[in-house]
Amino acid sequence: MNYLIKQFTREWGFLLRQKYVVVLLLCSLVLSGFAIYSGLSEVSEQQQTIERLKAADQSDRANVQQKQNDAGMLAYYSFHLTYSQPSNLAFAALGERDIFPWKHRINLLALEGQIYESDAQNAELAQAGKIDFVFVISALAPLVIILLFHDLFASERTSGRHDLLVTTAKSYFALWGARITVRFVALIVCLMLPFFVGAFIAGASAFKVAYVSLLCIAYLAFWAVLSVWLGKNATSAPRVASSLIGLWVLFAFIIPILGDLAINKTVHSPNGGDIVLTQREAVNDAWDLHKSTTMNAFIKEYPALAPYVDMSSEFEWKWYYAFQQMGDLKAAELSQAYRDSAAKKYELAGTVSWLSPPLLLQRSLTRAANTDSVAAYNYEQQIRDYHQQLREFYYPWLFYKGDPTKAALENMPRFESTTQTSK
Amino acid sequence: MSIHNFSKVVIVAKDEWRYWLRSKLAMTVLAIGLLLTLSSVVVTAITMHELSHARHELQSNAEQSFVDQPDRHPHRMVHYGHYAFRTPSPLSTLDPGIDAYTGNSIFLEGHRQNSAMFADQRQGTALTKLGSLTPAFIVQTLAPLLLILIGYSSISRERESQTLSYLLAQGTSGTTLIVGKGLALLSVVGLIIAPLAVSALFTMSAGESLLAVTSFVVGYALYLTVWVLLILLASSVFSKNSGSFTALAFVWILLCIVMPRVASTSASTAVPSTGKIETDFAVKAELRKLGDGHNTNDPAFKQFKQSLLEKYNVNSIDELPVNFRGLVASESEAKQTDVLNQFAEQRMQAELKQTQVSRYFGWVSPMVAIRSLSMIVVGTSIETHHRFLRETEQLRFDFVQGLNKVHIEKLNYQDDMNRNANAAATQKARVSADNWQILQAFNFTVDSANIRAQRSVPAFLQLLLWIAVLVGGIKFVGKRLS
Repeated sequence: MNYLIKQFTREWGFLLRQKYVVVLLLCSLVLSGFAIYSGLSEVSEQQQTIERLKAADQSDRANVQQKQNDAGMLAYYSFHLTYSQPSNLAFAALGERDIFPWKHRINLLALEGQIYESDAQNAELAQAGKIDFVFVISALAPLVIILLFHDLFASERTSGRHDLLVTTAKSYFALWGARITVRFVALIVCLMLPFFVGAFIAGASAFKVAYVSLLCIAYLAFWAVLSVWLGKNATSAPRVASSLIGLWVLFAFIIPILGDLAINKTVHSPNGGDIVLTQREAVNDAWDLHKSTTMNAFIKEYPALAPYVDMSSEFEWKWYYAFQQMGDLKAAELSQAYRDSAAKKYELAGTVSWLSPPLLLQRSLTRAANTDSVAAYNYEQQIRDYHQQLREFYYPWLFYKGDPTKAALENMPRFESTTQTSK
Repeated sequence: MSIHNFSKVVIVAKDEWRYWLRSKLAMTVLAIGLLLTLSSVVVTAITMHELSHARHELQSNAEQSFVDQPDRHPHRMVHYGHYAFRTPSPLSTLDPGIDAYTGNSIFLEGHRQNSAMFADQRQGTALTKLGSLTPAFIVQTLAPLLLILIGYSSISRERESQTLSYLLAQGTSGTTLIVGKGLALLSVVGLIIAPLAVSALFTMSAGESLLAVTSFVVGYALYLTVWVLLILLASSVFSKNSGSFTALAFVWILLCIVMPRVASTSASTAVPSTGKIETDFAVKAELRKLGDGHNTNDPAFKQFKQSLLEKYNVNSIDELPVNFRGLVASESEAKQTDVLNQFAEQRMQAELKQTQVSRYFGWVSPMVAIRSLSMIVVGTSIETHHRFLRETEQLRFDFVQGLNKVHIEKLNYQDDMNRNANAAATQKARVSADNWQILQAFNFTVDSANIRAQRSVPAFLQLLLWIAVLVGGIKFVGKRLS
């Protein structure tokens, strides 16, 4: 044991005396810290926005409910907030939340006409990408590892100490193992420390933190082993580094890009514009259709409302909302195909990511943090379900119960986000 | 520099090429670089052409289906609405910029300003988060790395193999050596940029101006020159190949990988922007004061009614020679649009301010500078998207007011009021489909080349400053070399 400690202390001393190693480690610490800090502030900004929206949404609806009594008018003017809370791991993996919307307000009109509206963030910033912990670990850390580990052997060779060291060292481990371990542990501490602090602040569960740490350390170990292994017999450090960086470019850029091209060629997704066009044509044509055409189609979905479809005027709200829903129904197939193709693409991308460790890590971490496109599509499904609940709440009032009482409005379904509870 | 010196520079450059031709690493790197650039140029050109074609078609379809609508109540057409599509600029074949990150279509209807829908990125695989096969990404991010791999040892190699003192003793000055090596590297830059330049020239046949093409090519040439200078500097300063390599790799990571993201993260932290949903609450509060244009009895229109009666010198709205409901719709649309535009403008200004903050990082990273320069010149920056939003808003306002005019002039007020009485009355409250011709054809084009060039001036200055500082540094080092 003492022997081990002696080796480590010696190597630690060496490390501290090598200026560029210290600089690299410090840079890692600073970058990881910056990523965690900005991630935390982004997540808290998102949470605050949601809180503000909730309050504004509440008072806006109260205002409408105070002014309107008619069920049809109420449904027309009342908007309902939906949102997707960032998970308590989102600070480390901001994921796709800058591209997919995480807040939405809907009313009782056809959903297909509303759901693709997006309250996205600044596109030019989204295009540059954000620096988050996942980015630091998956893309940057391998480069730091390459710089730290590629010249372990080559630098000793070029300075002519290599053979001397090998023959005089007590064991292989005493020399290289201790050096590698010290560097690796120092790097892990610099990269992961800010994450632990961030996880503590965000209140992430210990299990998740352990899971993320395990993945990150395994990933970093992969790069360290690769760097050491490739550098073992080399005499020219830059040559080793060149091939390692080449591998990095392959994993981080080339494989994903080729995969993306291939997937986009194989999976054809319907044009999003066609969904809204179909829905809009259906809704608009309904004005000129015979009322019974719409109503007959409608009561197939809602047989219980069949006794109440007769109309006494050329315009009635129940008919209006019925043809809105029929518009959705008409576009449903396209809309489903649109979502299916996105899911298919995500699935195929998963296969591609097995060829690219950085991607695999990104996917695993954004999945754990519930910030990937799967999360975004789950949220979209929640909006759809909620919209359905609203329909079912309003229809009885629209069709036969008359104007809803204020007490009844209290029981209006509320959007309860399930994303906050970590799975 | 005298002719004699110049011929020496050329000899040095030729020698460097000879060295590269014999080096497996240099040849591999060069081949990969050219392959990547070429394939990115071809792939992106095809993608953007397909997009452009598809959106043109969607646009004309949308216009066709609007004018093909049957006889209707004009207000129904206001809600039927219209679609506008953002067709990409000719040069976007080289830098699609934010095209995939913003919605490319927008639904235009009365009383509302919708946001753009269907960002392509959302139907994507999320595989291209780190980089995509576009000429912009390849040249901005990967080309510097390739230059480093080829050039890191250009001077330090001579020093390490002790040929440097020999060369200097023979009368080649340090400056000549550096300039010669620089010339060789610049010729590689030329090779990388050539496919871009050719492709850029092709866009002139699609109507792009020479000014934009030139700014684009010159911008990239300046950018890669910055990297050549950085490489020369590092290679002269460090006594060992490995030192030069490590330093350059580190600088590359910092400038190309880290800085762009630090820039965007800092910008969104420094200038938080309120989302559309949130500002919509304020918009709604403002709009409520204006009254509901569907409801002629809304007290907000009382004064408007009075002024109309006086204008036409009649006692009641029934006696007006025009349709009062149409007038109210038109009046309230105009007022609403003022409010909507005011808020939309605020939001765009905030977004612009955010973007500006991220662009300031161009002073510390040439990659950030070329990134904004490229998108601005090509016309795929945030400004272009804002232009799209403004133009579609104009289109929206024009056709809605056009329909309101039809409503005012061609639909009898009494018929209009009775429209829901029975099927025959509904039939009567319609106008002929000929009126739908008021819709203007929409063809989105980017800002003029002059405006784009003006916007790109700060980015050019950023690159030029980098060059000036680096040339100064190299001069200093070059003298010490001798």
